[in-house]
Amino acid sequence: MLAAIFPSIEGSPEFDQLVANYPDVLKELFGLGEGGGITTGAGYLDVELFSFMLPLLVLVLAIGSGARTFAGEEDAGRLELVLSYPILRSRAVLAKGVAVAVEVAVVSGVAGLAMALLDPVVGLDLSSRNLVEAIVSLAALGLLFGWLALALGAAVPSRALAIGIPAGIAAATYLVNGLHGLAGWLDPFRIVSPFWLVGSAPLRNGADWQGVLTVLVVAALVLLAGAWLVERRDLQTP
Amino acid sequence: MDRVEDAPAIETLGLSKTYSGGTRALVDLDLRVERGEVFGYLGPNGAGKSTTIRLFLGLIRPTAGRAALLGRDTQRDGVAARRIVGYLPGDLRLADRLTGSEQLDSLARLRGSVDPRLRDALCERLEVVLDRPIRQLSRGNRQKIGIVQAFMHRPELVVLDEPSAGLDPLLQAEMRTLLRESAAAGATVFLSSHSLDEVQHVADRVGIIRAGRLTDVDAVEALRERALRHVTVTFAESVDPGALARLEGVRVVRVDGPVVSLSAPETAMDALLKTIAPHSVRDFVSEPADLEEIFLELYRESGDGR
Repeated sequence: MLAAIFPSIEGSPEFDQLVANYPDVLKELFGLGEGGGITTGAGYLDVELFSFMLPLLVLVLAIGSGARTFAGEEDAGRLELVLSYPILRSRAVLAKGVAVAVEVAVVSGVAGLAMALLDPVVGLDLSSRNLVEAIVSLAALGLLFGWLALALGAAVPSRALAIGIPAGIAAATYLVNGLHGLAGWLDPFRIVSPFWLVGSAPLRNGADWQGVLTVLVVAALVLLAGAWLVERRDLQTP
Repeated sequence: MDRVEDAPAIETLGLSKTYSGGTRALVDLDLRVERGEVFGYLGPNGAGKSTTIRLFLGLIRPTAGRAALLGRDTQRDGVAARRIVGYLPGDLRLADRLTGSEQLDSLARLRGSVDPRLRDALCERLEVVLDRPIRQLSRGNRQKIGIVQAFMHRPELVVLDEPSAGLDPLLQAEMRTLLRESAAAGATVFLSSHSLDEVQHVADRVGIIRAGRLTDVDAVEALRERALRHVTVTFAESVDPGALARLEGVRVVRVDGPVVSLSAPETAMDALLKTIAPHSVRDFVSEPADLEEIFLELYRESGDGR
Protein backbone atom coordinates (compact mmCIF):
# COMPACT_ATOMS: atom_id res chain seq x y z
CA MET A 1 0.00 0.00 0.00
CA LEU A 2 1.05 3.55 -0.73
CA ALA A 3 0.98 4.54 2.92
CA ALA A 4 3.75 2.04 3.69
CA ILE A 5 6.20 3.96 1.51
CA PHE A 6 5.61 7.10 3.54
CA PRO A 7 8.35 6.58 6.20
CA SER A 8 11.01 6.72 3.53
CA ILE A 9 10.04 10.19 2.33
CA GLU A 10 8.84 11.62 5.68
CA GLY A 11 10.67 14.82 6.58
CA SER A 12 12.97 14.48 3.60
CA PRO A 13 13.98 17.95 2.38
CA GLU A 14 15.23 16.41 -0.87
CA PHE A 15 11.75 15.24 -1.65
CA ASP A 16 10.19 18.62 -0.95
CA GLN A 17 12.77 20.10 -3.26
CA LEU A 18 12.09 17.48 -5.89
CA VAL A 19 8.42 18.32 -5.75
CA ALA A 20 9.16 22.01 -5.92
CA ASN A 21 10.81 21.32 -9.26
CA TYR A 22 7.76 19.48 -10.62
CA PRO A 23 5.95 21.30 -13.39
CA ASP A 24 3.03 23.27 -12.00
CA VAL A 25 0.60 21.13 -13.97
CA LEU A 26 1.54 17.98 -12.08
CA LYS A 27 1.51 19.77 -8.74
CA GLU A 28 -2.02 21.04 -9.30
CA LEU A 29 -3.28 17.74 -10.62
CA PHE A 30 -1.99 15.73 -7.69
CA GLY A 31 -2.90 18.26 -5.01
CA LEU A 32 0.66 19.30 -4.24
CA GLY A 33 -0.03 22.99 -4.59
CA GLU A 34 -2.05 23.61 -1.47
CA GLY A 35 -0.24 24.04 1.84
CA GLY A 36 1.04 21.10 3.85
CA GLY A 37 3.21 19.52 1.18
CA ILE A 38 3.68 15.87 0.46
CA THR A 39 6.03 15.24 3.36
CA THR A 40 3.39 15.48 6.08
CA GLY A 41 1.27 12.38 6.63
CA ALA A 42 -2.02 14.02 5.69
CA GLY A 43 -0.39 15.76 2.76
CA TYR A 44 1.07 12.52 1.49
CA LEU A 45 -2.21 10.62 1.63
CA ASP A 46 -4.16 13.52 0.16
CA VAL A 47 -1.79 13.43 -2.75
CA GLU A 48 -1.36 9.74 -3.27
CA LEU A 49 -4.70 8.36 -2.19
CA PHE A 50 -7.42 10.94 -1.99
CA SER A 51 -6.62 12.77 -5.16
CA PHE A 52 -6.20 9.68 -7.28
CA MET A 53 -6.24 6.06 -6.12
CA LEU A 54 -9.27 5.97 -3.85
CA PRO A 55 -11.61 8.06 -6.03
CA LEU A 56 -10.59 5.88 -8.97
CA LEU A 57 -11.27 2.68 -7.03
CA VAL A 58 -14.58 3.83 -5.55
CA LEU A 59 -15.81 5.32 -8.84
CA VAL A 60 -14.97 2.22 -10.85
CA LEU A 61 -16.88 0.09 -8.35
CA ALA A 62 -19.80 2.51 -8.09
CA ILE A 63 -20.24 3.03 -11.85
CA GLY A 64 -19.86 -0.70 -12.45
CA SER A 65 -22.46 -1.50 -9.82
CA GLY A 66 -24.90 1.18 -11.01
CA ALA A 67 -24.63 0.15 -14.65
CA ARG A 68 -24.80 -3.58 -13.95
CA THR A 69 -27.86 -3.50 -11.75
CA PHE A 70 -30.28 -2.13 -14.36
CA ALA A 71 -28.68 -1.73 -17.79
CA GLY A 72 -26.70 -4.94 -17.35
CA GLU A 73 -29.72 -6.93 -16.20
CA GLU A 74 -31.81 -5.57 -19.07
CA ASP A 75 -29.06 -6.45 -21.55
CA ALA A 76 -29.01 -9.99 -20.20
CA GLY A 77 -32.81 -10.20 -20.58
CA ARG A 78 -33.35 -10.79 -16.90
CA LEU A 79 -35.64 -7.81 -16.31
CA GLU A 80 -38.34 -9.28 -18.57
CA LEU A 81 -39.59 -11.70 -15.93
CA VAL A 82 -38.98 -9.48 -12.89
CA LEU A 83 -40.81 -6.48 -14.36
CA SER A 84 -43.76 -8.67 -15.38
CA TYR A 85 -44.40 -8.99 -11.64
CA PRO A 86 -46.76 -6.61 -9.83
CA ILE A 87 -44.16 -3.98 -9.05
CA LEU A 88 -43.57 -0.48 -10.40
CA ARG A 89 -40.42 -0.07 -12.46
CA SER A 90 -39.66 3.19 -10.64
CA ARG A 91 -39.76 1.36 -7.31
CA ALA A 92 -37.37 -1.25 -8.71
CA VAL A 93 -34.94 1.52 -9.73
CA LEU A 94 -35.10 3.12 -6.28
CA ALA A 95 -34.54 -0.26 -4.60
CA LYS A 96 -31.52 -0.81 -6.81
CA GLY A 97 -30.35 2.70 -5.82
CA VAL A 98 -30.36 1.60 -2.17
CA ALA A 99 -28.27 -1.45 -3.10
CA VAL A 100 -25.72 0.72 -4.92
CA ALA A 101 -25.56 3.08 -1.92
CA VAL A 102 -24.87 0.17 0.42
CA GLU A 103 -22.09 -1.05 -1.85
CA VAL A 104 -20.48 2.41 -2.01
CA ALA A 105 -20.74 2.82 1.77
CA VAL A 106 -19.11 -0.55 2.38
CA VAL A 107 -16.21 0.11 -0.01
CA SER A 108 -15.57 3.60 1.38
CA GLY A 109 -15.90 2.34 4.95
CA VAL A 110 -13.38 -0.44 4.36
CA ALA A 111 -10.93 2.06 2.83
CA GLY A 112 -11.33 4.32 5.88
CA LEU A 113 -10.90 1.43 8.29
CA ALA A 114 -7.75 0.26 6.51
CA MET A 115 -6.25 3.71 6.83
CA ALA A 116 -7.19 4.07 10.49
CA LEU A 117 -5.51 0.72 11.22
CA LEU A 118 -2.46 1.60 9.17
CA ASP A 119 -1.99 5.03 10.70
CA PRO A 120 -0.21 3.96 13.96
CA VAL A 121 1.91 1.41 12.09
CA VAL A 122 3.47 3.79 9.58
CA GLY A 123 3.13 6.93 11.69
CA LEU A 124 1.00 9.08 9.41
CA ASP A 125 -0.47 10.98 12.34
CA LEU A 126 -3.87 11.56 10.75
CA SER A 127 -6.64 13.53 12.39
CA SER A 128 -9.39 10.96 12.89
CA ARG A 129 -12.00 13.63 12.35
CA ASN A 130 -10.52 14.59 9.00
CA LEU A 131 -10.26 10.91 8.06
CA VAL A 132 -13.99 10.45 8.64
CA GLU A 133 -14.74 13.59 6.64
CA ALA A 134 -12.51 12.41 3.80
CA ILE A 135 -14.29 9.06 3.70
CA VAL A 136 -17.72 10.74 3.70
CA SER A 137 -16.75 13.00 0.80
CA LEU A 138 -15.37 9.99 -1.05
CA ALA A 139 -18.64 8.10 -0.49
CA ALA A 140 -20.62 11.11 -1.76
CA LEU A 141 -18.61 11.05 -5.00
CA GLY A 142 -19.18 7.31 -5.35
CA LEU A 143 -22.90 7.70 -4.76
CA LEU A 144 -23.21 10.47 -7.35
CA PHE A 145 -21.53 8.51 -10.13
CA GLY A 146 -23.06 5.16 -9.14
CA TRP A 147 -26.57 6.62 -9.18
CA LEU A 148 -25.84 8.44 -12.42
CA ALA A 149 -24.91 5.10 -14.04
CA LEU A 150 -28.05 3.47 -12.63
CA ALA A 151 -30.30 6.35 -13.71
CA LEU A 152 -28.88 6.43 -17.24
CA GLY A 153 -29.41 2.68 -17.60
CA ALA A 154 -32.98 3.18 -16.42
CA ALA A 155 -33.63 6.08 -18.80
CA VAL A 156 -31.98 4.64 -21.90
CA PRO A 157 -31.62 0.97 -22.82
CA SER A 158 -27.86 1.04 -23.29
CA ARG A 159 -25.26 -0.42 -21.01
CA ALA A 160 -22.47 1.31 -22.94
CA LEU A 161 -23.99 4.74 -22.22
CA ALA A 162 -24.61 3.83 -18.58
CA ILE A 163 -20.89 3.21 -18.14
CA GLY A 164 -19.43 5.65 -20.67
CA ILE A 165 -21.24 8.85 -19.71
CA PRO A 166 -20.51 8.71 -15.95
CA ALA A 167 -16.91 7.68 -16.63
CA GLY A 168 -16.49 10.56 -19.11
CA ILE A 169 -18.04 13.10 -16.74
CA ALA A 170 -15.88 11.82 -13.89
CA ALA A 171 -12.70 12.16 -15.95
CA ALA A 172 -13.60 15.65 -17.18
CA THR A 173 -14.62 17.03 -13.81
CA TYR A 174 -11.58 15.42 -12.17
CA LEU A 175 -9.34 17.32 -14.57
CA VAL A 176 -11.26 20.56 -13.98
CA ASN A 177 -10.67 20.17 -10.25
CA GLY A 178 -6.99 19.37 -10.74
CA LEU A 179 -6.21 22.12 -13.21
CA HIS A 180 -8.55 25.01 -12.45
CA GLY A 181 -5.90 26.87 -10.41
CA LEU A 182 -3.49 26.70 -13.31
CA ALA A 183 -5.64 27.44 -16.32
CA GLY A 184 -7.46 30.63 -15.44
CA TRP A 185 -10.25 30.08 -17.93
CA LEU A 186 -11.12 26.81 -16.17
CA ASP A 187 -11.49 28.47 -12.80
CA PRO A 188 -15.19 29.43 -13.13
CA PHE A 189 -15.99 25.81 -14.02
CA ARG A 190 -14.57 24.40 -10.79
CA ILE A 191 -17.99 24.71 -9.19
CA VAL A 192 -19.37 22.02 -11.53
CA SER A 193 -16.69 19.57 -10.45
CA PRO A 194 -17.94 17.31 -7.66
CA PHE A 195 -14.30 16.64 -6.80
CA TRP A 196 -13.84 20.33 -6.02
CA LEU A 197 -17.20 20.61 -4.27
CA VAL A 198 -16.55 17.92 -1.66
CA GLY A 199 -13.20 19.47 -0.71
CA SER A 200 -9.93 19.01 -2.55
CA ALA A 201 -7.61 18.05 0.30
CA PRO A 202 -9.94 16.44 2.84
CA LEU A 203 -7.29 14.85 5.06
CA ARG A 204 -5.66 18.22 5.65
CA ASN A 205 -8.63 20.55 5.49
CA GLY A 206 -11.64 18.32 6.15
CA ALA A 207 -14.69 18.04 3.92
CA ASP A 208 -16.66 20.93 2.51
CA TRP A 209 -20.03 20.06 4.01
CA GLN A 210 -22.00 22.39 1.82
CA GLY A 211 -20.34 20.81 -1.21
CA VAL A 212 -20.99 17.29 0.06
CA LEU A 213 -24.65 18.18 0.58
CA THR A 214 -24.84 19.64 -2.93
CA VAL A 215 -23.37 16.46 -4.40
CA LEU A 216 -25.83 14.30 -2.45
CA VAL A 217 -28.81 16.40 -3.53
CA VAL A 218 -27.74 16.23 -7.19
CA ALA A 219 -27.24 12.46 -6.84
CA ALA A 220 -30.75 12.06 -5.43
CA LEU A 221 -32.27 14.21 -8.22
CA VAL A 222 -30.44 12.16 -10.85
CA LEU A 223 -31.78 8.92 -9.34
CA LEU A 224 -35.33 10.30 -9.18
CA ALA A 225 -35.09 11.40 -12.82
CA GLY A 226 -34.02 7.87 -13.75
CA ALA A 227 -36.96 6.39 -11.81
CA TRP A 228 -39.33 8.76 -13.60
CA LEU A 229 -37.97 8.13 -17.08
CA VAL A 230 -37.88 4.34 -16.76
CA GLU A 231 -41.69 4.26 -16.65
CA ARG A 232 -41.86 6.04 -19.98
CA ARG A 233 -39.96 3.71 -22.23
CA ASP A 234 -40.08 0.20 -23.67
CA LEU A 235 -38.16 -2.59 -22.07
CA GLN A 236 -35.73 -4.09 -24.59
CA THR A 237 -35.31 -7.76 -25.32
CA PRO A 238 -31.76 -8.96 -25.87
CA MET B 1 -66.18 -2.44 -9.25
CA ASP B 2 -68.91 -4.05 -11.32
CA ARG B 3 -66.90 -3.27 -14.40
CA VAL B 4 -63.95 -5.29 -13.11
CA GLU B 5 -66.18 -8.17 -11.96
CA ASP B 6 -67.84 -8.57 -15.34
CA ALA B 7 -64.85 -7.77 -17.49
CA PRO B 8 -63.50 -10.43 -19.86
CA ALA B 9 -60.08 -11.93 -19.12
CA ILE B 10 -58.48 -10.00 -21.95
CA GLU B 11 -59.92 -7.12 -23.93
CA THR B 12 -58.03 -4.98 -26.41
CA LEU B 13 -59.25 -2.06 -28.48
CA GLY B 14 -57.24 -0.92 -31.49
CA LEU B 15 -54.08 -2.05 -29.74
CA SER B 16 -51.11 -1.11 -31.92
CA LYS B 17 -47.35 -1.06 -31.61
CA THR B 18 -44.96 0.58 -34.03
CA TYR B 19 -41.32 0.31 -33.00
CA SER B 20 -39.01 3.28 -33.31
CA GLY B 21 -37.46 1.77 -36.45
CA GLY B 22 -40.88 2.03 -38.11
CA THR B 23 -41.73 -1.66 -37.87
CA ARG B 24 -45.47 -2.09 -37.43
CA ALA B 25 -45.31 -5.04 -35.08
CA LEU B 26 -49.00 -4.95 -34.17
CA VAL B 27 -51.81 -3.20 -36.02
CA ASP B 28 -55.23 -2.43 -34.58
CA LEU B 29 -55.74 -5.54 -32.51
CA ASP B 30 -59.33 -6.00 -31.30
CA LEU B 31 -59.47 -9.13 -29.20
CA ARG B 32 -61.73 -10.46 -26.49
CA VAL B 33 -60.86 -13.56 -24.50
CA GLU B 34 -63.51 -14.76 -22.05
CA ARG B 35 -62.81 -16.00 -18.55
CA GLY B 36 -62.08 -19.70 -18.25
CA GLU B 37 -61.15 -19.94 -21.91
CA VAL B 38 -57.96 -21.47 -23.31
CA PHE B 39 -57.01 -19.21 -26.17
CA GLY B 40 -54.34 -20.17 -28.67
CA TYR B 41 -52.48 -17.29 -30.29
CA LEU B 42 -51.01 -18.67 -33.43
CA GLY B 43 -48.58 -17.16 -35.88
CA PRO B 44 -45.21 -17.63 -37.52
CA ASN B 45 -42.07 -16.24 -35.88
CA GLY B 46 -41.97 -12.46 -35.98
CA ALA B 47 -45.73 -12.11 -36.55
CA GLY B 48 -46.25 -10.01 -33.41
CA LYS B 49 -47.13 -12.64 -30.81
CA SER B 50 -44.51 -11.60 -28.27
CA THR B 51 -45.22 -7.93 -28.94
CA THR B 52 -48.89 -8.51 -28.03
CA ILE B 53 -47.96 -10.35 -24.84
CA ARG B 54 -45.40 -7.74 -23.79
CA LEU B 55 -48.06 -5.07 -24.27
CA PHE B 56 -50.38 -7.04 -21.94
CA LEU B 57 -47.70 -7.00 -19.24
CA GLY B 58 -46.80 -3.34 -19.64
CA LEU B 59 -43.23 -4.21 -20.65
CA ILE B 60 -43.70 -2.06 -23.73
CA ARG B 61 -46.11 0.82 -24.32
CA PRO B 62 -48.73 0.80 -27.07
CA THR B 63 -48.46 3.45 -29.78
CA ALA B 64 -52.27 3.39 -30.04
CA GLY B 65 -55.22 1.66 -28.48
CA ARG B 66 -55.44 -0.03 -25.12
CA ALA B 67 -55.64 -3.36 -23.38
CA ALA B 68 -57.23 -4.51 -20.14
CA LEU B 69 -56.73 -7.72 -18.17
CA LEU B 70 -59.85 -8.60 -16.15
CA GLY B 71 -60.89 -4.98 -16.40
CA ARG B 72 -57.56 -3.53 -15.27
CA ASP B 73 -55.96 -1.23 -17.81
CA THR B 74 -52.42 -2.39 -18.58
CA GLN B 75 -51.09 1.18 -18.71
CA ARG B 76 -52.99 3.09 -16.06
CA ASP B 77 -53.39 0.18 -13.67
CA GLY B 78 -50.37 -1.92 -14.61
CA VAL B 79 -49.48 -3.24 -11.17
CA ALA B 80 -53.06 -4.42 -10.54
CA ALA B 81 -53.16 -6.01 -13.99
CA ARG B 82 -49.90 -7.84 -13.44
CA ARG B 83 -50.96 -9.06 -9.99
CA ILE B 84 -53.48 -11.48 -11.47
CA VAL B 85 -51.22 -12.74 -14.25
CA GLY B 86 -48.70 -15.57 -14.39
CA TYR B 87 -46.28 -15.07 -17.28
CA LEU B 88 -43.80 -17.37 -18.94
CA PRO B 89 -41.57 -15.38 -21.33
CA GLY B 90 -40.68 -16.83 -24.71
CA ASP B 91 -37.00 -16.26 -24.04
CA LEU B 92 -36.72 -17.06 -20.35
CA ARG B 93 -33.62 -15.66 -18.60
CA LEU B 94 -33.17 -16.51 -14.95
CA ALA B 95 -30.58 -15.49 -12.37
CA ASP B 96 -27.86 -17.96 -13.37
CA ARG B 97 -25.98 -17.88 -10.10
CA LEU B 98 -28.98 -18.80 -7.96
CA THR B 99 -30.22 -22.33 -7.46
CA GLY B 100 -33.72 -23.17 -8.66
CA SER B 101 -35.01 -23.00 -5.14
CA GLU B 102 -33.36 -19.63 -4.41
CA GLN B 103 -34.72 -18.22 -7.68
CA LEU B 104 -38.26 -19.32 -6.84
CA ASP B 105 -37.90 -17.91 -3.29
CA SER B 106 -36.74 -14.57 -4.66
CA LEU B 107 -39.62 -14.43 -7.16
CA ALA B 108 -42.10 -15.45 -4.45
CA ARG B 109 -40.93 -12.56 -2.26
CA LEU B 110 -41.31 -10.19 -5.19
CA ARG B 111 -44.82 -11.53 -5.85
CA GLY B 112 -45.77 -11.45 -2.18
CA SER B 113 -48.70 -13.86 -2.41
CA VAL B 114 -47.51 -17.35 -3.23
CA ASP B 115 -49.05 -20.57 -1.97
CA PRO B 116 -46.00 -22.58 -0.81
CA ARG B 117 -47.87 -25.88 -0.97
CA LEU B 118 -48.92 -25.26 -4.56
CA ARG B 119 -45.36 -24.33 -5.43
CA ASP B 120 -43.94 -27.50 -3.85
CA ALA B 121 -46.59 -29.63 -5.56
CA LEU B 122 -45.73 -28.09 -8.95
CA CYS B 123 -42.00 -28.62 -8.41
CA GLU B 124 -42.60 -32.24 -7.50
CA ARG B 125 -44.91 -32.84 -10.41
CA LEU B 126 -42.55 -31.35 -13.01
CA GLU B 127 -39.49 -32.85 -11.27
CA VAL B 128 -37.83 -29.44 -11.05
CA VAL B 129 -34.12 -29.48 -10.17
CA LEU B 130 -34.05 -27.17 -7.15
CA ASP B 131 -30.64 -27.55 -5.55
CA ARG B 132 -28.29 -26.80 -8.44
CA PRO B 133 -27.24 -23.41 -9.81
CA ILE B 134 -29.44 -22.49 -12.76
CA ARG B 135 -26.46 -22.00 -15.08
CA GLN B 136 -25.84 -25.75 -14.84
CA LEU B 137 -29.37 -26.64 -15.93
CA SER B 138 -30.51 -27.69 -19.39
CA ARG B 139 -32.96 -25.54 -21.34
CA GLY B 140 -35.82 -27.86 -20.43
CA ASN B 141 -35.01 -27.76 -16.73
CA ARG B 142 -34.89 -23.96 -16.78
CA GLN B 143 -38.22 -23.90 -18.58
CA LYS B 144 -39.73 -25.98 -15.77
CA ILE B 145 -38.71 -23.32 -13.24
CA GLY B 146 -40.38 -20.79 -15.51
CA ILE B 147 -43.57 -22.81 -15.56
CA VAL B 148 -43.63 -23.16 -11.76
CA GLN B 149 -43.23 -19.41 -11.23
CA ALA B 150 -46.03 -18.72 -13.70
CA PHE B 151 -48.50 -20.92 -11.80
CA MET B 152 -47.36 -20.72 -8.16
CA HIS B 153 -49.69 -17.88 -7.11
CA ARG B 154 -52.85 -19.37 -8.67
CA PRO B 155 -53.12 -16.64 -11.31
CA GLU B 156 -56.51 -15.84 -12.78
CA LEU B 157 -54.83 -15.41 -16.15
CA VAL B 158 -51.87 -17.43 -17.39
CA VAL B 159 -49.94 -15.99 -20.33
CA LEU B 160 -47.46 -18.35 -21.93
CA ASP B 161 -45.18 -17.40 -24.82
CA GLU B 162 -44.14 -20.55 -26.73
CA PRO B 163 -44.16 -22.65 -23.55
CA SER B 164 -43.14 -25.99 -25.09
CA ALA B 165 -39.75 -24.77 -26.27
CA GLY B 166 -37.09 -27.10 -24.90
CA LEU B 167 -39.55 -29.48 -23.25
CA ASP B 168 -39.51 -33.17 -24.13
CA PRO B 169 -42.81 -34.72 -25.31
CA LEU B 170 -43.58 -36.17 -21.88
CA LEU B 171 -43.34 -32.74 -20.26
CA GLN B 172 -45.28 -31.12 -23.09
CA ALA B 173 -48.09 -33.52 -22.24
CA GLU B 174 -47.78 -32.68 -18.53
CA MET B 175 -47.89 -29.01 -19.46
CA ARG B 176 -51.11 -29.50 -21.45
CA THR B 177 -52.65 -31.30 -18.47
CA LEU B 178 -51.65 -28.38 -16.26
CA LEU B 179 -53.29 -25.92 -18.66
CA ARG B 180 -56.51 -27.92 -18.81
CA GLU B 181 -56.64 -28.20 -15.01
CA SER B 182 -56.15 -24.46 -14.64
CA ALA B 183 -58.93 -23.77 -17.11
CA ALA B 184 -61.20 -26.25 -15.32
CA ALA B 185 -60.47 -24.38 -12.06
CA GLY B 186 -61.68 -21.17 -13.71
CA ALA B 187 -58.41 -19.60 -14.86
CA THR B 188 -57.95 -18.19 -18.33
CA VAL B 189 -55.03 -19.34 -20.46
CA PHE B 190 -53.48 -17.31 -23.27
CA LEU B 191 -51.04 -19.48 -25.15
CA SER B 192 -48.88 -18.35 -28.04
CA SER B 193 -47.33 -20.77 -30.47
CA HIS B 194 -46.14 -21.11 -34.04
CA SER B 195 -47.42 -24.66 -34.23
CA LEU B 196 -51.06 -25.55 -34.72
CA ASP B 197 -50.38 -29.05 -33.45
CA GLU B 198 -49.17 -27.66 -30.13
CA VAL B 199 -52.27 -25.55 -29.66
CA GLN B 200 -55.09 -27.60 -31.10
CA HIS B 201 -55.12 -30.15 -28.27
CA VAL B 202 -55.68 -27.61 -25.52
CA ALA B 203 -57.21 -24.47 -26.96
CA ASP B 204 -60.92 -23.74 -27.23
CA ARG B 205 -60.43 -20.93 -29.72
CA VAL B 206 -57.52 -19.90 -31.86
CA GLY B 207 -56.53 -16.47 -33.13
CA ILE B 208 -54.20 -16.29 -36.08
CA ILE B 209 -51.80 -13.39 -36.38
CA ARG B 210 -49.66 -12.64 -39.37
CA ALA B 211 -47.44 -9.61 -40.01
CA GLY B 212 -48.93 -7.82 -37.00
CA ARG B 213 -52.58 -8.32 -37.99
CA LEU B 214 -55.08 -10.68 -36.44
CA THR B 215 -56.41 -12.40 -39.54
CA ASP B 216 -58.78 -14.90 -38.06
CA VAL B 217 -60.34 -16.02 -34.80
CA ASP B 218 -62.05 -19.33 -34.82
CA ALA B 219 -62.94 -22.37 -32.78
CA VAL B 220 -60.18 -24.94 -33.01
CA GLU B 221 -62.57 -27.44 -34.55
CA ALA B 222 -63.39 -25.12 -37.42
CA LEU B 223 -59.75 -24.39 -38.03
CA ARG B 224 -58.86 -28.06 -38.11
CA GLU B 225 -61.58 -28.71 -40.64
CA ARG B 226 -59.97 -26.18 -42.89
CA ALA B 227 -56.44 -27.21 -42.01
CA LEU B 228 -54.81 -28.88 -44.95
CA ARG B 229 -52.96 -32.15 -44.87
CA HIS B 230 -50.12 -33.03 -47.21
CA VAL B 231 -50.87 -36.42 -48.69
CA THR B 232 -48.44 -38.46 -50.74
CA VAL B 233 -49.76 -41.66 -52.28
CA THR B 234 -47.48 -44.17 -53.99
CA PHE B 235 -49.55 -46.40 -56.28
CA ALA B 236 -48.40 -49.74 -57.65
CA GLU B 237 -48.68 -48.28 -61.16
CA SER B 238 -49.42 -44.90 -62.71
CA VAL B 239 -53.03 -43.76 -62.30
CA ASP B 240 -55.10 -40.91 -63.69
CA PRO B 241 -55.23 -38.27 -60.91
CA GLY B 242 -58.38 -36.71 -62.40
CA ALA B 243 -60.72 -38.59 -60.06
CA LEU B 244 -58.76 -37.33 -57.05
CA ALA B 245 -58.70 -33.73 -58.27
CA ARG B 246 -62.50 -33.71 -58.58
CA LEU B 247 -62.94 -34.33 -54.83
CA GLU B 248 -64.15 -31.35 -52.74
CA GLY B 249 -61.19 -29.29 -51.43
CA VAL B 250 -58.52 -31.57 -52.89
CA ARG B 251 -55.73 -30.19 -55.03
CA VAL B 252 -53.23 -32.31 -56.91
CA VAL B 253 -49.85 -30.68 -56.38
CA ARG B 254 -47.57 -33.01 -58.32
CA VAL B 255 -47.71 -36.26 -60.27
CA ASP B 256 -44.47 -38.15 -60.65
CA GLY B 257 -45.27 -41.48 -62.28
CA PRO B 258 -47.04 -43.57 -59.65
CA VAL B 259 -46.35 -40.99 -56.89
CA VAL B 260 -49.15 -38.44 -56.44
CA SER B 261 -48.76 -35.49 -54.06
CA LEU B 262 -51.87 -33.59 -53.07
CA SER B 263 -53.22 -31.30 -50.41
CA ALA B 264 -56.54 -31.99 -48.77
CA PRO B 265 -58.54 -30.71 -45.79
CA GLU B 266 -59.28 -33.19 -43.02
CA THR B 267 -62.90 -33.24 -44.07
CA ALA B 268 -61.97 -34.67 -47.47
CA MET B 269 -59.85 -37.46 -46.04
CA ASP B 270 -62.62 -40.08 -45.98
CA ALA B 271 -63.66 -39.50 -49.57
CA LEU B 272 -60.03 -39.43 -50.63
CA LEU B 273 -59.27 -42.80 -49.07
CA LYS B 274 -62.34 -44.36 -50.65
CA THR B 275 -61.35 -43.05 -54.07
CA ILE B 276 -57.84 -44.42 -53.67
CA ALA B 277 -58.90 -47.76 -52.20
CA PRO B 278 -59.82 -49.58 -55.47
CA HIS B 279 -56.24 -49.10 -56.71
CA SER B 280 -53.26 -51.04 -55.49
CA VAL B 281 -51.36 -48.78 -53.03
CA ARG B 282 -47.73 -49.18 -51.94
CA ASP B 283 -47.53 -46.28 -49.46
CA PHE B 284 -49.72 -43.56 -48.00
CA VAL B 285 -48.34 -40.58 -46.05
CA SER B 286 -50.48 -37.84 -44.54
CA GLU B 287 -48.79 -34.93 -42.75
CA PRO B 288 -50.13 -31.74 -41.22
CA ALA B 289 -49.42 -28.73 -43.40
CA ASP B 290 -47.39 -26.06 -41.64
CA LEU B 291 -48.95 -22.87 -40.46
CA GLU B 292 -47.77 -20.75 -43.35
CA GLU B 293 -49.74 -22.94 -45.75
CA ILE B 294 -52.83 -22.73 -43.59
CA PHE B 295 -52.51 -18.95 -43.75
CA LEU B 296 -52.22 -19.06 -47.51
CA GLU B 297 -55.34 -21.20 -47.60
CA LEU B 298 -57.16 -18.72 -45.35
CA TYR B 299 -56.11 -15.88 -47.60
CA ARG B 300 -57.28 -17.75 -50.65
CA GLU B 301 -60.66 -18.20 -49.01
CA SER B 302 -61.03 -14.56 -48.04
CA GLY B 303 -59.77 -13.60 -51.51
CA ASP B 304 -62.66 -15.58 -52.97
CA GLY B 305 -64.94 -13.03 -51.34
CA ARG B 306 -66.73 -15.03 -48.69
